[in-house]
Amino acid sequence: MKKGLVAFLIAIGIMGLVVVFIGGSYNSLIELEQNVEKEYSNVSVMLERRADLIPNLVSTVKGYAKHEEEIINSITEARSNLMNANTIGEKSKANSELSTALNALMVVVENYPDLKANANFIQLSDELAGTENRIAVARKSYNDAVEGYNSKIKKFPSNILANMFGFEKAEYFEADPAKLDVPKVEF
Amino acid sequence: MKKYICYLILFLYLMLPCNTFAIVRPMSNFYVNDYANILSSETERYILDKSIALNNIDGTQIVVVTVPNLEGNSLEDYANKLFNNWGIGDKKKNNGLLLLLALEEREFRVEVGDGLEGILPDGKTGRFQDQYIIPYLKNNNWDEGIKNGYDVFYSEIVKLNNLDLEYEEGIPSYNTDNNEENDLNILFEIILVLGFFTGTFIGIWMKKMPKEKGLKATLLYFLIWVLLFIICTRIFMIGVGFLIFNLFCFIPTRFGLSTRGGVGFGRSSGGGSSGGFSGGGGRSSGGGSSRGF
Repeated sequence: MKKGLVAFLIAIGIMGLVVVFIGGSYNSLIELEQNVEKEYSNVSVMLERRADLIPNLVSTVKGYAKHEEEIINSITEARSNLMNANTIGEKSKANSELSTALNALMVVVENYPDLKANANFIQLSDELAGTENRIAVARKSYNDAVEGYNSKIKKFPSNILANMFGFEKAEYFEADPAKLDVPKVEF
Repeated sequence: MKKYICYLILFLYLMLPCNTFAIVRPMSNFYVNDYANILSSETERYILDKSIALNNIDGTQIVVVTVPNLEGNSLEDYANKLFNNWGIGDKKKNNGLLLLLALEEREFRVEVGDGLEGILPDGKTGRFQDQYIIPYLKNNNWDEGIKNGYDVFYSEIVKLNNLDLEYEEGIPSYNTDNNEENDLNILFEIILVLGFFTGTFIGIWMKKMPKEKGLKATLLYFLIWVLLFIICTRIFMIGVGFLIFNLFCFIPTRFGLSTRGGVGFGRSSGGGSSGGFSGGGGRSSGGGSSRGF
């Protein structure tokens, strides 16, 4: 009798440990996944903020550099691509396009000293640079979150759980291919 | 015994938390960090007094940092990492402001904590730089430029946040708020010392045992050590430090290895626990503005 009881208790103990382990692992998977989603939403907010600044920038530029149609159009187009992007991959690509277009604009602006000295333009440039910096910071946070989550999904033994409950790999937010610093406004 | 004390000091010295960012660490004054050595002591005193007073009102922290160079980092990267590493501003309100000057690159950045973004949007900080700071910096007028800029940000914060400022002259008050990092460092060091001593004593104890028993005991020790190590790396990182110190001291004492001549009494450099002021744990998402001069 006693031997059976001991065996039974040991079995319960082991089962308890397994449950605790699975529960703990599952919960941490959930936590990591939530973190990724939170950071993603953060990045999206910053991207939107940048998109919002564009129309104002475009109209200011048009006031001085009406004939730079090509650049202005590429900016407007990149912006609408960004607004229409849904997946992280699309957003990442559209973001890079917009950055390239804006960098091209900043180069062209050098030829228009009046525009460069315009108070409104200076303010907008600062806002844009600030937003782009925020995007960079948010992107790094997001990618860190993705790394933590993806590692957990792949490592043993949590990968078993991940497969069982359908946790899927998250996508990284790719960096700008041609990473140019936004030129600082100098006088 | 003397040898062990020397070991202890050496190990403590080596185990002091390292700066992994290649970014400067806060000085004990926290609010003024003139690493580039361009500010006069009057300016430094001025900034320190005003920042202390402001911090006492509602936890707002304005920090000025000058560095000789950015050590290969971009200005924005450096500023943001520094801001978050030092934890400028109150943890909940995020009301921190960083004024950073990089001497070699001739760049200046204003980094704004999340909580101050409302009253100090990027455009405004840029404008303030243009009007109050950059013209002076172009002529290497460091004191005037920084003091001027500091003042305008200071008064803007006080004005727009409706702060009631009772300025107390030169009474440094201790910021005892929420200094988690320091407490953690002290705890860490205590645990390491514990590891050191327990390791030493276990080693001595086992050495004294008759040979066969001593062998079994040693084997058991290593077995337990490996088990604990695996557990600690998953849950309890501080435990790992304890175990490593334990092992370091266990091995020489257990196996009677002779120690080479004593290590000199070294002064620890600054270390993790600074006596003085420190950050409230605030964060910045990257807002602010940059200028070259």
